[in-house]
Amino acid sequence: MSALELQDVELEIDGRALFAPISVRVAPGAVTSIVGDSGSGKSSLLNFLCGILPPAIRASGQVRLGEQDVTRQSPQSRRLGRLFQDPLLFPHLDVAGNVLFGLRARLSRQARRLRVADALASVGLDGMGDRDPATLSGGQQARVALLRVLLSEPRALLLDEPFSALDDDNRARVRELVFSEARKLGLPTLLVTHDAGDVAAAGGDVVELTAAARGGNDA
Amino acid sequence: MSVSRRPAVWVLLSVSLLPTAAGLAAALWYGLDSAALARVLATPGVGRSIATSVWTGSLATLIALVLAHLIVAMAASGQWRGRLNALMVPLLAMPHLAIGIGLALVLAPSGLLMRLVSPWATGYALPPDWLIVNDPAGLSLIAGLVLKETCFLVMALGVALAQVPSSQLTLQTATLGYGPLKGWFVAVAPALQRQIRLPLAAVFVFGITNVEMAIPLGPGLPPTFSVLLWRWFTDPDPLINAQAYAGTLVLLGVCGVALLLAAVSARVGRVMWTLFARSGRRRTAEKPLRRVLGTAVAAGWLLGALAIVAIGFRALSGPWRFPDLVPDRLSLGTLEELAMSLTGVGGTTLALALATALAGLAFVVPAAEHCRQSATARQRIGACLFLPLLLPQMTFLFGVQVFLIRLAIDGSFIAVLWSHLIFTLPYLWGILASARAAIEPRYEQVAVTLGVSKLSAWCRITAPLLARSGLTALALAVSVSVALFLPTLFAGAGRFATAATEAAAAAGSGNLRLASGYAVLLAVLPLAAFAVALSGGQVLFRNRRGVPR
Repeated sequence: MSALELQDVELEIDGRALFAPISVRVAPGAVTSIVGDSGSGKSSLLNFLCGILPPAIRASGQVRLGEQDVTRQSPQSRRLGRLFQDPLLFPHLDVAGNVLFGLRARLSRQARRLRVADALASVGLDGMGDRDPATLSGGQQARVALLRVLLSEPRALLLDEPFSALDDDNRARVRELVFSEARKLGLPTLLVTHDAGDVAAAGGDVVELTAAARGGNDA
Repeated sequence: MSVSRRPAVWVLLSVSLLPTAAGLAAALWYGLDSAALARVLATPGVGRSIATSVWTGSLATLIALVLAHLIVAMAASGQWRGRLNALMVPLLAMPHLAIGIGLALVLAPSGLLMRLVSPWATGYALPPDWLIVNDPAGLSLIAGLVLKETCFLVMALGVALAQVPSSQLTLQTATLGYGPLKGWFVAVAPALQRQIRLPLAAVFVFGITNVEMAIPLGPGLPPTFSVLLWRWFTDPDPLINAQAYAGTLVLLGVCGVALLLAAVSARVGRVMWTLFARSGRRRTAEKPLRRVLGTAVAAGWLLGALAIVAIGFRALSGPWRFPDLVPDRLSLGTLEELAMSLTGVGGTTLALALATALAGLAFVVPAAEHCRQSATARQRIGACLFLPLLLPQMTFLFGVQVFLIRLAIDGSFIAVLWSHLIFTLPYLWGILASARAAIEPRYEQVAVTLGVSKLSAWCRITAPLLARSGLTALALAVSVSVALFLPTLFAGAGRFATAATEAAAAAGSGNLRLASGYAVLLAVLPLAAFAVALSGGQVLFRNRRGVPR
């Protein structure tokens, strides 16, 4: 796996910069935390990295995976795995269907099913493949969402406060699971949060989004 | 959001507004003929004819509005818990023509109601010589309109209810010591009323201008003004036709003035309402009102059901002797004869309805996609699509026919389909635009970041989540299309036979048995569409709680 690099990334709405330009390098297997107040543009930053920024926000700067510049690539070809604040399991598919949606490997139908069943078992969701996702607990849903992302074979992981909706107990367990999987796969991971516990558990670099300097941007 | 850069939105709007505008222009061009206008106004009884139209339309709208508010208020405070839709949908789906013909068979002196009580209670062995249906005051016409439009307005109020924090408001009034009904009428109803102004105006204009109910139920000599115009339109004499063209402008003017007066009285009503709200009186005994209204709703529903039974009996029976409640034998010969004439017309009607519904979906879905983030854009487009429903159908449809002749497609399937689209798009938009906007936008973002293209994400995530609303919208579109009479008549250049045109023609010439045959089709097709859609929606994603209803 290669490192994830952000260079001079800057976002602006109506000519107003959301934060001072940032440059970050996340090594494979490392977890870098980005902290900032709510409204500081953390989620928009991740949207920019994924390529799903709404047209109202203008962006500049570069996103690289190793030597490859992905800034202009389409969202679906960037392969940046993203976990949102909520699990966002597709409500019309069962649990296995959700993970199968993510699974990239081109295998026979049978092999894909087995692969997903194994993956579910590995996170303690043995035999829950045909369940309605809406009937799962918050912690279980978070684990399904994680599997869905991991099996899509991302080249980096973007986490948008993915533990904030969980209670303390689940929060620590899911967090540990996510970080250990990311480390195991050598994925550079960017964690956006305002929770001190998340930052401590991540253990990597901490970058703070600060308000942009006044003047110059007030075009 | 700028609507201007959205081609899908422009296409949708032009499909509806282009022929409407062209139709209005053509109506003015051909209708502004002073000689013909003078002949219209000199027609004996025309004043009374216009007065009857306005009287029946106004009174029916007013009664339907009050009833609809009462029904929604009672449903909100617990009565008919969750069954309101089941109560309203069958009557809502039933075309005006079918209900009209059915009611004529129920209410007439020889009708089903009289048979129910004869001869044991009334002593009548022969039908009495009463003028109940087609009465000169238009009371039976008003009854028919009230039955249909109450359901329509209940639905419109139900949609508006989603935008108003009604339960918080009634909780507030309850803690201030108001009963649930008075609380509702003080705090919630005015907010709802503001949101249903367009549908209400449409009901009002339809009430004044309709022929669907006025043909079977309305007064005969003179008939309502639009029925008079319809006769002039179908007259072989071109001079009389010119009279019809000019007459549609009179109809337009009458509607304009009526709407203006209605707007003024609405303003007065609002002031009086404020006084009523400010009086501070708490009405504690709401029970009697509830009981009366419950009975009224039950009676309305029963009447609707009887109307359907009556057209079924009438269509299938040979001679049906008066005091017999049920025809003594269902005539197989009639059945065979009926099946022959119905299959062709039924096939055309169904094909047209399905094609209209699907084409409408094809226009509405892309535009809804573009407007998913802007409630203002959705509302504006909804209002634009609603405009044709605020015009007397005859006025602009005659112009639409001229427009279609210019395009050299009048009388074709496409032409009729297009005219039907004008009337179905507002309903399709009403359901689908908000359903699309309600879908969690991050589902698609998740799909895309998982490596799926936007189109594929739409097909695999958005489309299934829209499917239930889509089915309901299709059923509604089918029921609207099946019911359309004047659009089919005009755009079809009189050569296009559907259940509605045949039923109206038969009812117009007084052949209620034949009219009943077609009315059966009119009733069955929308009901079947809703039955399929609702059960399909049940089966679809049955074990998925998170899928939007």
